[in-house]
Formats: sequence, structure tokens, C-alpha cells
Amino acid sequence: MPLIRKSGGDTRKPDADPVSVLTALVNGNPDERWAAARAAVHVTGGVDALETALASEVDPRVREAIFTSLIRIGSAQSVNAIIPLLKLDDASIRTGALDALRAMPAAVRERLPELLNDRDSDVRILSCEIVRGLPGEEATSILCTLLAHEPEANVCAAAIEVLSEVGGADAIPDLDRCAARFPGISFLSFAIKIARDRILTQLTDKHV
Amino acid sequence: MSEFPALTEDEFRKLCEFLYRRTGMIFTETKRYYVERRVVERMVATSADSFSSYFTRLRANLGGEIEQFVNAFTVNETYFYREDHQLKCLTSDLLAQRILDRKHGDAIRIWSVPCSTGEEPYSIAMWLLENWSLVDNYEIEIVGSDIDTKVLEIAREGIFGKRALMRLTPEIITTYFSQLDEFRWQIIEDLRDSVRLGPVNIVEQNETRPYGQFDVIFCRNVLIYFDDASRRIAAENLYENLLPGGFICLGHAESMSRISPLFEVARFADAIVYQRPFNRGTHVA
Repeated sequence: MPLIRKSGGDTRKPDADPVSVLTALVNGNPDERWAAARAAVHVTGGVDALETALASEVDPRVREAIFTSLIRIGSAQSVNAIIPLLKLDDASIRTGALDALRAMPAAVRERLPELLNDRDSDVRILSCEIVRGLPGEEATSILCTLLAHEPEANVCAAAIEVLSEVGGADAIPDLDRCAARFPGISFLSFAIKIARDRILTQLTDKHV
Repeated sequence: MSEFPALTEDEFRKLCEFLYRRTGMIFTETKRYYVERRVVERMVATSADSFSSYFTRLRANLGGEIEQFVNAFTVNETYFYREDHQLKCLTSDLLAQRILDRKHGDAIRIWSVPCSTGEEPYSIAMWLLENWSLVDNYEIEIVGSDIDTKVLEIAREGIFGKRALMRLTPEIITTYFSQLDEFRWQIIEDLRDSVRLGPVNIVEQNETRPYGQFDVIFCRNVLIYFDDASRRIAAENLYENLLPGGFICLGHAESMSRISPLFEVARFADAIVYQRPFNRGTHVA
């Protein structure tokens, strides 16, 4: 038979020492930085090093590994390291940051009020996507609070889109008030109608 | 279900958190019945008289209970030549690309993870022997791995029922199986000996790394059970376990594009798979 079976010996290397990991994260070639970014999870001071590296990393794959390690650490500092990237012009970095924050809902939760009130409306729009990952009641409450005062129709639209998926009956009055605040913006009225219908349909389905 | 009362909300949450930490699998309230059924199975098996006493046993890993518990939660239903369009793709396109820079006698490594009770790695072996004319030209190593050590034992035995063989022709069954009785067939020894089987948790880099790098990885219908964070970790581990230019095949309902940007989409006539780009040399060893 031309198929072969080799023995499965353990070829793992011993864990890298912290100093070499942190050094490689800054000074290594892309392969070394990738490996260091992954290993930094297990190293004291790793989150500081990851935060520093994230700010200057140019290789998308290494950046991805840094994001994942920050997610694994899942601390407030991890969130702090990622949030500034939501404001960058590079769409791929912004998306990477958003995906990372979405993957750590527990850690990002307490920063959401601040993010949803950021001066940059793009940050507020992206932050609505983070809310999508929270439990329905909590998401509804947060987004309804936003809808009550948000001046930008595009941000409201982002919140409404999320509410149409995760919102409960509590959202209906806030959706109606939002529609009343933007009477001349037809796409928003349309989005609110869709969201209302979806929420009401879900409620009906639950009671069948 | 049993004489045990349903889990309280707090018990259910604690259990799900424990399962998540150990395996990366995430279960929500909608899967309560599924979770409770397996917990009760384990409570009966360990003679626990309450959830509390069982959970104490579990956390202390008395009698290797963690492994038994994890085993109870893994989905093991499969059959030979499942999603065979990917097997067609393997022989019609993927291997053709992988051998471009290989010479006769070089190794071709294929990993089936999770391999469950062995249908997938044995399917790959049979498919190659039957459908790849160059099979004799290379040293083909097929490895099957799973987090569930019980299913690996079943895979090693290689004994299957009629349902698992439903997609195989009588000729294939005659060639690669010995019929044990009316209901059971066993993979012939030569084929069993040609597939290496071993345990792995794909979200643990220390467990995936020793397997080395592969030309093709079949990782079907497991990432869907993971949450975002675990999926990303698994994707990075699998990326390291692929040779540059190597391919990964996911289940038909799964998309690597939604998990990680590390891979490139590779479209072929029979399947859409994902490829580790050539221009990055991140090596495991």
C-alpha cells in the first residue's frame, strides 16, 4: 500500500523566554513577529508589548495575530490597545479592530457608552456593530439610549439595523420617536419600518 | 430524561462556561436540552447524586472526568465519502498543485481534523488509492486527529455499521473492508495501518504544533461550534499547520472568510477551499 504511517513523536519546542518574545515582536522579521505575537499571550508584560507593536505593525497577518492575542488576554488594556484603530483611515485595520472588539464583548462592554458618544460618527457606527454581540435586552437598552439623542441619521441607521436583529418590544417606542425626529429622511423611515416589522414578527413567533 | 431535576440557570451557565474554557465550544440556552442530556449521562455514569457533586468531580478531574465530559459533547456522526466533492477536488486540483515542486518519493501530508470515528481519514485513503493515478509516486501520510479520545479508539478499530458505508460501492467495500457479521465491517489491516490517529484540541497551539505542517487539511463542521475568539485561535493554529500554498477544506456551511483573513479563497470546479498564501513562511518548527 503506497500510504505510509509515521510515528507521532512530540516535536514541540520549549516555551520561548519572555525577553526574546518581546524583542522579536518589535525587531523580528514578519515570521518572527507572527510567532512572538502569538507567544506574547503567555508572557508577563505581553499586553504592553502587543499594544506597542499594534500601533506600528504593517504586516496584516502579524496584525491579525496581535489582535487574536489581545482577544485571548481579554483585559481592559487589550480593549484600550484596539480602540484607537477604529479611527484610522485604513479600512482593513478598522475592520480588524472591529472584529477583535466584537470577539471580546465582556471586556469591551464598559467602554461602549464612551464609544457610542465618540465625536467621530464613524466610530459610533462601528460601535453599533459591537453592540450586536451583546445579549438582546442589553443591546436593546444601549441602542435605544443612543437613538434618543443621536444627531446623525447614518448612526441611527446602524443602530436600527442591529435592533432589527436583536431588539425586543422595548425598542418599538424608541424607534417611533427616532422616526419622528428625522421626518424628512426617507431611508431612515424605511429602515425603521423594516426593524419594527421584524421585531413584531419575532415577538409573534415566540408566542405561537 | 431522568430522575435528575433540570439544571438551574446558574448551574447551566457555570457548566457552559466550563465547557467553553476547556474546548472553545459555546452552548447557549437554545441548546439546554442537548447539554442537560449529556450532563445527566455523565452523572449517571459517575453515580453523582446531584449536579453539585458532579460539578465538583468534574472540576477536580476525578477519574479523568474532564475527558469523559468533553467526549460526551463532541458530535461524532459521519459516514464514508461524505461531501465527496471535496475528495474529487483533492485529486483533480489540490494535489496537482501540491506536487508541482515535488519529486517522486517526496512526502504528501494530509490531516483530517476532527476525524471522529475515522470515516474521513479512511475515506481520504480509499479515495486516493482509487482515484489518484500518481498515488504510487509519493509517500502519502494521512493523519486523523480528534479531541475525543473515545472516538479515536473506535477509529483505530475501524469497525463500522451499514449506515457509515451507504455511499460506498460494493467493489470499494469488498476491497477495503472485511465483513465481520451481518451488521459490521472492518477496515482491512493494511489501510488501518496506513492512517495515524492521535488526540488534538485545535484551539491549543501546544497540541496542534507537534503534528507539523500539511499539504491539505480537512477541518469540516467543527469551527461552527466555536465562538469568535476560539475560531480565530483555531484558524491561526491551522494556518501554522499548513505548508505555504497548502489548502484547508471546511464544511459546506462554513466560510473561512468570516473567521480570518489569513487565507485566500481558492475556487475549483468541485469545491471552494482556502489556501495559505505562498508569500509567507511562518513555520511551525
